[in-house]
Amino acid sequence: MNKKMCIGLFSGSVDKLTAAGIILSGAAAQDMDVDVFVLLMGAHAFKKENAEKLDNIAELPHLKEQFFESLKRLKVSTWMNFFKEAKELANVKIHICGLAGKLWGGEKIEDFVDFADDICGIGEYISAAEEADIHMFI
Amino acid sequence: MLTNDELKKITADKVVDARGTACPGPLLAAKRAITEVKREGIMEILSSDEGTRRDIPKWSDKMGHEYLGCLDESGYFRIFLKRMK
Repeated sequence: MNKKMCIGLFSGSVDKLTAAGIILSGAAAQDMDVDVFVLLMGAHAFKKENAEKLDNIAELPHLKEQFFESLKRLKVSTWMNFFKEAKELANVKIHICGLAGKLWGGEKIEDFVDFADDICGIGEYISAAEEADIHMFI
Repeated sequence: MLTNDELKKITADKVVDARGTACPGPLLAAKRAITEVKREGIMEILSSDEGTRRDIPKWSDKMGHEYLGCLDESGYFRIFLKRMK
């Protein structure tokens, strides 16, 4: 049976989303099953109309320009591409917290990016975190 | 593990050129490409990313493949492994 990773993704900032994308790509490369639970601020980033144009970062905001330039120079994928590629490589599921979705006007899964799988509740997140071999909160 | 002389003599069944991409690009490229290598076939990964030379042996071990070694060329690495399953 594959090892399991669970990520509680609270952040909706490009720096942390990129870190989450890199970590889940690494897990997918090792054939881990990954469940990502998108919580409060994270759901803002996963709204269809926001995902592409996201440009806020949580850490070192005064170095934002350098951060984006460096990502480009080093040919680092966008956070969205990390998520999409990881889903192609392994069993990766993206769950949007129901409350978080509603905070940003998202009621149905169709309101979110096409690589999001379903809308879930907090109980499912806690169960997944309990059963996972690795759990992280970003 | 093979010696550098033995590695230099290898003609890989599949060469993955991931030079110029940052971590985790080369690892993901390797993960994709291994499916195109037959069992007991050899895959060579070219990477200019320092982290890849440490990542691939661990990944290879975890996936049940055999890590053969790494050649340090000027500016990039040639990393070899044998697909075992």
